[in-house]
Amino acid sequence: MDPLEATQSNLPGIDPTTETEQDLKDFEAGVAERHPSKRRRYLGWLTSDEAARWTARLAALAIWAIAGAMFDRIPTPWATFSFIIDEAQRGELWGPIWVTLKRAIIGLSIVLVLGVILGFLMGRFWPIRYLTTDLVMAAIALPAFIWALLAVMWFGFSETAPIFVCVVSATPMLIVNTREGAAAVDHQLSKMSAAYKVSKIKEFRHLVLPTMSEYIFAGFRVAVLAGWGAILLVEWFGNGSGMGWRAQYWYDGLNFNGMLGWGVLMLIVIVGIDRLIMQPALNRTRRWRAREDQAWS
Amino acid sequence: MSTPDYTITPGAAVRLRVQDYVVRFFKSRRLWRTVLSLAGAFAFLALWDYASGNIWAVYILPSPIDVVNQMKQLVEDGTVWSAFWATLRKTLYGWGAAFVIGVPIGLLMGRYRYANAFFQDFVYILANVPLLVYAVISLVIFGVSDTGPAFVVLLLVLPAVAINTAAGVKSADEGLLSMSRSFNRTPLAVTKNVIFPAVTPFLLAAGRVSFADSWKLAALTETFGGSSGIGFELNTSFELYSVVDALAWMFFFVIFVILIERILLLPAERRIFSWRNPGEKLV
Repeated sequence: MDPLEATQSNLPGIDPTTETEQDLKDFEAGVAERHPSKRRRYLGWLTSDEAARWTARLAALAIWAIAGAMFDRIPTPWATFSFIIDEAQRGELWGPIWVTLKRAIIGLSIVLVLGVILGFLMGRFWPIRYLTTDLVMAAIALPAFIWALLAVMWFGFSETAPIFVCVVSATPMLIVNTREGAAAVDHQLSKMSAAYKVSKIKEFRHLVLPTMSEYIFAGFRVAVLAGWGAILLVEWFGNGSGMGWRAQYWYDGLNFNGMLGWGVLMLIVIVGIDRLIMQPALNRTRRWRAREDQAWS
Repeated sequence: MSTPDYTITPGAAVRLRVQDYVVRFFKSRRLWRTVLSLAGAFAFLALWDYASGNIWAVYILPSPIDVVNQMKQLVEDGTVWSAFWATLRKTLYGWGAAFVIGVPIGLLMGRYRYANAFFQDFVYILANVPLLVYAVISLVIFGVSDTGPAFVVLLLVLPAVAINTAAGVKSADEGLLSMSRSFNRTPLAVTKNVIFPAVTPFLLAAGRVSFADSWKLAALTETFGGSSGIGFELNTSFELYSVVDALAWMFFFVIFVILIERILLLPAERRIFSWRNPGEKLV
């Protein structure tokens, strides 16, 4: 026997047999941590992440159903979804969704252009930054619904009101993020490109744009959520079309299924946009980081 | 040949020092920062003042002076204080409930992978709900009441509280945790002495980030179905078609948000974080 091993097994207070059992357990737990597929073999599918997610979804539906059955005011899930189907059969479903989406596309395009230009100027030139920082902070503190009320008073029932409110309430969020991005551009690298006489266009393409795009898209994702909410608010307060107006229409008719149905639709559309467009775009802007990590390792 | 006299008279020394001070003062960023930020605010006010009356009629865009006068009147009435307090009270109720429910959820999420996966979807969905939908939920369930705003503030704040608690639990010192395991401390004692101190700064961060949002939501819900508070006052001014009133309330709103952030939350955060890195200046 190896002398070292002999001393270890003779140490007082440590039973070598339980020690190995514990080791085996630890090993299994480690395998389970690293390989979820093997974990299932050990603990069964019921404790996996996927099962947890589905349990959560079913539990949410069950709680909603019970609350709907217990209280008169709360619509049940099936009443809400059958309302949505009814609305589709009446031909009133896609019209409002399309109207609101169109407004969002116009408004958010303006937000993207304005926010990126202003944010870039603020990040690059310090006099502009100091001139506008307080104004931008105040604009962020302003809630969209006050802008919505003002816009309805100013512009009445028009296409201007929703787009105006979308721009004023979403642009500051994008500005703040873009400004951070412009300030995060590596000074050493930009000095080096100046020393080696790299053209401004090349520097912008290979240094400024990759750094800023991540910040821009992170900010734009927040701006999309803010702008979407703002447009819905204007439509509720004073507009003759769109999803917000439709929800308000059913509120006036005291149809709670209708209100909640349209609320669910608003949520579905924004979550869909976030999942299908914004998150993939954001991951794309982060690709170069992963590549850089690979290059270094 | 006489040597030139290089001694400095006391008067010249003072003059040089003042000169030096003035030069440094004008070169400092801090001065420019203050000057430019004031200049920005004044330029904005001047533009606004020019626009009202010259570009748009006064009843559409009242001048800043009109708005300030209106604000003065509202302060003298006492309307501001009662409305401010009504909205703040509802927000605080929502926050209290969010802490009571969110902290245990966050502790579970930080500790167990199953809980993390279980609450993942809820947290994601609740963070993406447009504010109008929250207001609609409040209207559907509670109608015109004071419970509605508090309830939706709870829904809005809950994800932030849960996520930050979970992050705090994960940041807890592994060494301390394994030491308490080997000394057979009870889970309660571990939670109290190791986990809670790790979680507190994260909770404070959650509070600072989502306070402004929750305050906005409370006011919005009051606009829809409330009988008191800033949102209610705004809705009244909307129905009376009074832009002056709406603008006055808008400025009160900004002032409140900034005051609460600067006077309450920032110093509290500084105090709680101060033990961590005493030398480092906090942003």
